[in-house]
Amino acid sequence: LTEPPSPGRYKPPATETNPALEDPTPDYMNLLGMVFSMCGLMLKLKWCAWIAVYCSFISFANSRSSEDTKQMMSSFMLSISAVVMSYLQNPQPMSPPW
Amino acid sequence: MKKLYIFIAVLFIPWSFSLAKYDEFEDGDDIMEYDDNDFAEFEDVSEDTVTESPQRIITTEDDEEEATVELEGQDENQEDFDDTDTQEGDTESEPYDDEEFEGYEEKPDASHSKSKDPITIVNVPAHLQNSWESYYMEILMVTGLLAYIMNYIIGKNKNNRLAHAWFNTHRELLESNFALVGDDGTNKEATSTGKLNQENEHIYNLWCSGRVCCEGMLIQLKFLKRQDLLNVLARMMRPASDQVQIKVTMNDEDMDTYVFAVGTRKALVRLQKEMQDLSEFCSDKPKSGAKYGLPDSLAILSEMGEVTEGMMDAKMIHFLTHYADKIESVQFSDQFSGPKLMQEEGQLTKLPETKKTLLFTFNVPGSGNTSPKDMESLLPLMSMVIYSIDKAKKFRLNREGKQKADKNRARVEENFLKLTHVQRQEAAQSRREEKKRAEKERIMNEEDPEKQRRLEEAALRREQKKLEKKQMKMKQIKVKAM
Repeated sequence: LTEPPSPGRYKPPATETNPALEDPTPDYMNLLGMVFSMCGLMLKLKWCAWIAVYCSFISFANSRSSEDTKQMMSSFMLSISAVVMSYLQNPQPMSPPW
Repeated sequence: MKKLYIFIAVLFIPWSFSLAKYDEFEDGDDIMEYDDNDFAEFEDVSEDTVTESPQRIITTEDDEEEATVELEGQDENQEDFDDTDTQEGDTESEPYDDEEFEGYEEKPDASHSKSKDPITIVNVPAHLQNSWESYYMEILMVTGLLAYIMNYIIGKNKNNRLAHAWFNTHRELLESNFALVGDDGTNKEATSTGKLNQENEHIYNLWCSGRVCCEGMLIQLKFLKRQDLLNVLARMMRPASDQVQIKVTMNDEDMDTYVFAVGTRKALVRLQKEMQDLSEFCSDKPKSGAKYGLPDSLAILSEMGEVTEGMMDAKMIHFLTHYADKIESVQFSDQFSGPKLMQEEGQLTKLPETKKTLLFTFNVPGSGNTSPKDMESLLPLMSMVIYSIDKAKKFRLNREGKQKADKNRARVEENFLKLTHVQRQEAAQSRREEKKRAEKERIMNEEDPEKQRRLEEAALRREQKKLEKKQMKMKQIKVKAM
């Protein structure tokens, strides 16, 4: 009874389990990235801008394929612009916190 | 496509650095003006001596920086004056007149005596230095980013290789058992794609269908997030393994009503808390499977003893003992509805939909450090899955068991209704009030006063009737009670 007479059935229910329930990391990282890049731009803090770049990368790595690349790209560009702006305004190197 | 974006964006960073650095040189112009004032004392002698000899004694007191900038300033000075009067050019070629430089000679003496004093080198603040070394934090950051990107690419490729290794090993078994292997839901007709469906950089799906007894089987290869460096670092603290999750949806007529689970104790405790069906039907704690010859690591959760007896036949025990290290959990349930939904009090008005399902969760050996070869060791587990499908179809409860099962299900439903009774009452009450309000509004909006009166009377009459009915009912109940 291995080869079935029944016809091949449907497509997958496409894992309806709400993807947002499973892993919130990319969303959190996206939000964090935007917050940090805003901080970096407004308060002219270089380290904020760098953390924003990192957050945006992490969000990208954890993202699901169904997610919008536009969102990802926009957070990415925002963080890069935060870094560039902080350096244009203040070309000094970043000082370590210690 | 995504990779291209990354590379372009990464190129922006060093470019922006170079842009930022050019701003510093604009400051040179300011210092040139100071030079002019310094030469002011020599203007009396001759206007042209502003040009001054290019040699300028640099005292050790000056900052290094000032020195370099002044040299630059000197250069610019000379350039400017070259363009203007030729007079100044002439005076430069004249031999130096000692008289003109009276006050000047003292200076070399002064500097001589001062050179005997210890040289104090002033620390130039970092931002005034023009070396790349002062930007070490930035270089560190960029290196970190590059490391992250490298890890992403390596991790992604590893997961990809593992997934395909798994698929190649299992392809034959799957294709011999299922008519449709691999479907991503995009085609209109059900045709076999014969490929894994990549949901993520670490999750791969495979839908198989077209077998007797089951509606379909969804296999999810849930790998570790090797593409995320943070995750890799976190895993160094807390080892975890890749998992293969298989969910078989059974046809309604092909499975009897029972709930049963077997797996590691930890997994079962967690499932019992999380899963709706296990928590409702399997009230006891996970029991040891030693009675059936299972290793200590495995435990059993079951609705009733008969189910356990029926499930634990020789072949199943053989599978479970031999591959115990790879089995995380196995769950057969006719009331499967997923994990418990956390809902507020007022929302739960209907029982969640249930489906007859068999769930399997296997751990890939290697605990994170898997190689494609390890995938072969999972093949017998797939055979176990196939065997379980057939077994679930064949296994039927006897009469007693069936009665117990039905009672259990009725009990669960009743409990649920009781819980929601209050909510449903409230819901009904609010609906009735809504209707009344709507009626009243209609009456109020009615422009014709005559009509208004009539509608009001009609509403009043209905109210009275209802009251009477209620009273009648109460009387009947009282009579019955007596």
